[in-house]
Amino acid sequence: MGLVMNAQLRQHLLALQGTTRTAPGIENGFGVLPAVLPLGIAAIDTMLGGGLMRGALHEIAAPAEAHSAAATGFALGIAASWPGLSQPSTSCLLTLPEVVDARHKVYARAGWRPDPGAGHDGRRIVWIAEEMARAESGAPHGAGLDAFGLAPERLLTVTVSHRRDLLWGMEEALRCRAVNVVIGEMRPGKIDEIAVRRLSLAAGEGGALALLLRAAPAADSSTAATRWIVGTASSVIAHGPGAPRIAAHLVRNRRGPTGSWILEWSDSDERFVLATHAQPVAAPAFDRPHRQVA
Amino acid sequence: MLSLWLRRLSTDRIVRSRDSFPSPRAAGRGEERAPLVVTGKRGNVEVLTAVDEAASRLGLSPGLTLAQARAMHPGIDAVAEDIEADTALLESIADWCLRYTPLVACDAPDGLLLDISGCSHLYGGERALVADLNGRLEHAGFAYSFAIAGTIGAAWAAAHYGKPGGHACGEERTLLAPLPLSALRIPPVTAASLARVGLKRIGDVLDLPRAPLTARFGSDVLRQLDRALGHEHEPLTPRLPVAPYVAEQRFAEPIAREDDILMVARRLARRLQLALERRGVGARRIELTLFRTDGMVRRIAAGTSRPLRDPDDIRGLFVERLAALADAFDPGFGFDMARLSVIVAEPCPPQQIGIGGGEDETELCRLIDRLSARLGARRVQRLTAQDSHIPEAAEAALPAQAVNGDAGWTAFRRYREETALSPRPLRLLTRPEPIEAVAEVPDGPPLRFRWRRALHEVVAAEGPERIEGAWWSEHGGPARDYFRVEDKSGLRFWLFRAGLYRDLVPGDPAPAWFLHGTFA
Repeated sequence: MGLVMNAQLRQHLLALQGTTRTAPGIENGFGVLPAVLPLGIAAIDTMLGGGLMRGALHEIAAPAEAHSAAATGFALGIAASWPGLSQPSTSCLLTLPEVVDARHKVYARAGWRPDPGAGHDGRRIVWIAEEMARAESGAPHGAGLDAFGLAPERLLTVTVSHRRDLLWGMEEALRCRAVNVVIGEMRPGKIDEIAVRRLSLAAGEGGALALLLRAAPAADSSTAATRWIVGTASSVIAHGPGAPRIAAHLVRNRRGPTGSWILEWSDSDERFVLATHAQPVAAPAFDRPHRQVA
Repeated sequence: MLSLWLRRLSTDRIVRSRDSFPSPRAAGRGEERAPLVVTGKRGNVEVLTAVDEAASRLGLSPGLTLAQARAMHPGIDAVAEDIEADTALLESIADWCLRYTPLVACDAPDGLLLDISGCSHLYGGERALVADLNGRLEHAGFAYSFAIAGTIGAAWAAAHYGKPGGHACGEERTLLAPLPLSALRIPPVTAASLARVGLKRIGDVLDLPRAPLTARFGSDVLRQLDRALGHEHEPLTPRLPVAPYVAEQRFAEPIAREDDILMVARRLARRLQLALERRGVGARRIELTLFRTDGMVRRIAAGTSRPLRDPDDIRGLFVERLAALADAFDPGFGFDMARLSVIVAEPCPPQQIGIGGGEDETELCRLIDRLSARLGARRVQRLTAQDSHIPEAAEAALPAQAVNGDAGWTAFRRYREETALSPRPLRLLTRPEPIEAVAEVPDGPPLRFRWRRALHEVVAAEGPERIEGAWWSEHGGPARDYFRVEDKSGLRFWLFRAGLYRDLVPGDPAPAWFLHGTFA
């Protein structure tokens, strides 16, 4: 009852402020969020139609099990780019996320780092992993996560022993309004098609981002909005390993063409940027309108 | 205080396990069966530890050696003792007795003590309670005797030595007087030495001067006597912690369906809610106890991450617990009683429903509770920074229900800024894995190494970062030199050499290399 009233009240206040719903958007209880999560890399964002679609499932696979750290890094990079202003103030509830985003950037440029532990609108990440996947590739290391711009106190790690528990847990987490990003990590193997569809639906309901982290690329059909294969790439070496580089291949995109990029982790921006001096691995195949859609 | 003595627990257990339909008639059929004795090794001799009704009629008694017993009656059926099974049976009976009172203590090896004060009226008085107990135990096929008295000592004495079914509250003196002194639970040696001077019954010592008695036989006798008479308090140690808040319900017809059980859980939670609200507390650990008609007791516990009293939330926890149990949750012929107890309660300040804010926290707690209830609290974790410089000890994943606040990460960030901590891997292996490495001696990084059967050529390395072992501890391990390396294909690893060449004693093997983590 209280929730319904709150939602109505928010709508009312939004109307009073003269703001309108940006279409298409997702109502998550704190106003309308844009439907996409920009990665901040123009080349990729244009292909994705603005960014990764929120409220959808995305698959990130490592080309081989040894590369799982790179795939993890990419997934966490995406998770960390979720706009979360941690200053608890009533205004941030009611301002449009674009404004929030802009303010966030201003804060970041000024070198001020919001305390991620405080506030109520911070990023919440649930990372559910199969027991064997965790044993094989290692457990998340808080100190390393923190360097990736992802506050470890925001992370909830869940270990499951069966794949059905993994899917159940992901679905539960996606339906929780307090969770922004749900990462599901699984060992190579088949995954139930219906369960994947359920995940997509659950993500659509809550507007959260569902990332399925796979240890090997899979050929099975799925309802994922995008599919990535992410492996490591050699860094620029000068007195030791340089900034981490990953090779990200977008192999399936529901909303546009596919492509491949080499990305480099930028410590100052705390996000991935397009590697400088690096040509795209292959020219992006632009969409041909006359192409038959299967 | 009710003392229950199952005088043939071991033999009853064996008969029950052999006989798929234990019934009151089983005792009557005893003649057809060979007399049953239970044997165990005492010292080097096989002796009888328990005998059944038929065997005791033949004159066999515990303490007799098996050889003698066999010589007297070759036809006896001897079974080896199984103390663990006896204890388990006694504990399950104790659980079953929870239907009468929450204060049940095991009186090993074959008795139970029930504090029924204040509980008997629920059954319509002590006599009705006793009748209920009588009926159920008889039906289950146990030989038993019990007594009710004001003190533990008196009840015990009456159950073991008095006339069965005795009921004496406030008349402990007259009850105890005719009973033998060993009914006071004193060591047999003391009882024997008292008997030598002609003191055989409790009545004999009741009015004796206390000082000489203590001087000669020790303080045990009088302490036990005082306890039995109620002059001194004797504490009862319940087998299970007593819940501060309890609600229970009995059913005329047993219930078995999951939906019904959940509905009952919700109804009981609603009843508890009032009590919890009045005290301003919420539940952190809740237990649903279900009493099956055949005497099995099933306890289902669920923890919460914040003080909880909303009936729907509590029901939600048990939905997950029941789903997790799946087939292991066997309702059999149904449950005839359910009890919801709050085992741990914590203050729960009243909260205002906000326009945002608090709801999110609540939602998250609800998610954590649901996941923990289904998967187990140890599988739903949060990372906490620990006070250690050794990488695997520097952080710990603790149950999310037990962690709140920033979990030490603010302090960690300050530490990282101050010490300019070198990069840490994104994923840390649960334990460092040994690798075969070719490295420059003494302090160089590895040139190539083999991990999980794959060969990696190192093209770049950074290090070493020396991390001392816990030198103050015997098991601290050697100092480690960590390197961040990148191989030909771009994979980045965190390797270390355990031990320094500097400290090497001639004749020892060279320090080993390990792989500890992977970078993005």
